[in-house]
Amino acid sequence: MAEFSWIARSPLEKALVVGGYGARGTTAGVSLTEIRNFDLIQVMARRGKAAELAKAAETRFGVTAPNAPNAVRVPDATLIWSGPDQFLVLSKGGIHAMEKLSQAFSQSASLSDQSHARALISVSGGKARSMLAKLSSLDLHPAAFPAGTAAATAVDHTSINLWRGSDRPDGQAVFNLLVFATFAESLWHTMLDAAAEYSVEISHSEALA
Amino acid sequence: MRIVCPFCGERELGEFTYLGDAKSARPAAGASEDEVFDYVYMRDNVAGPMSEYWYHGGGCRAWLKVARNTLTHEISSVEPAAGVGAKQAAR
Repeated sequence: MAEFSWIARSPLEKALVVGGYGARGTTAGVSLTEIRNFDLIQVMARRGKAAELAKAAETRFGVTAPNAPNAVRVPDATLIWSGPDQFLVLSKGGIHAMEKLSQAFSQSASLSDQSHARALISVSGGKARSMLAKLSSLDLHPAAFPAGTAAATAVDHTSINLWRGSDRPDGQAVFNLLVFATFAESLWHTMLDAAAEYSVEISHSEALA
Repeated sequence: MRIVCPFCGERELGEFTYLGDAKSARPAAGASEDEVFDYVYMRDNVAGPMSEYWYHGGGCRAWLKVARNTLTHEISSVEPAAGVGAKQAAR
């Protein structure tokens, strides 16, 4: 009998090679970090239940869930706006996994587990914005896209959820990007091409930024 | 051309998909064959202001009703299509 293994694997397992890429002899202008093993739940209000969902979210997370393109950080999760009356819950370690949230939102929202359906890529570094500017039509300047701003947009014809998280300790902006698992490899190579001239530092991590 | 999505803000055309005339309404049950034929097949080739449906598939995935001048591409209004977002449906 064939042996099966149901251990989750990263969609970037093959494409991601830890280390440097692109231009040499300079400090890396772009850091690309894939975040692995996260819980991601899509929460969408049922018809006419938006107010109820907002209340349930506030009870569950202690903050108002985003109702505009923003990402809201709570100690153990990030709530990312993904469209009218819907948001994503990004967390780790099962604290806000499907079985927990389905109870909290059973009356007001439809939930869909996206944990293994998306890849999460964190982009930072002095040239991160220059690299993203090649791919995205959004204005990511701090004045237009401050920390905590989110967007549902398309990069290289691929739908992504993009949000700016907390800055790195050195003050550099961090852009987080959720992409469909099957498009992750394609987008990864596109980003490497775009970032090569700035020199890239590639890694993966288990820690949510 | 850019469309100002009421949810996402100003976005490039590539994020949107065009459906067509937002004016045509499904005839009531029991309508004549001519009315149904009109609804299914007949379209006006508008030169000027037109109300049309656009889908923000590269963004928030909402359907939008856009008032656009087909001669100048000037967009005078963008609003969520009926039923978009549970919030709108509840109003």
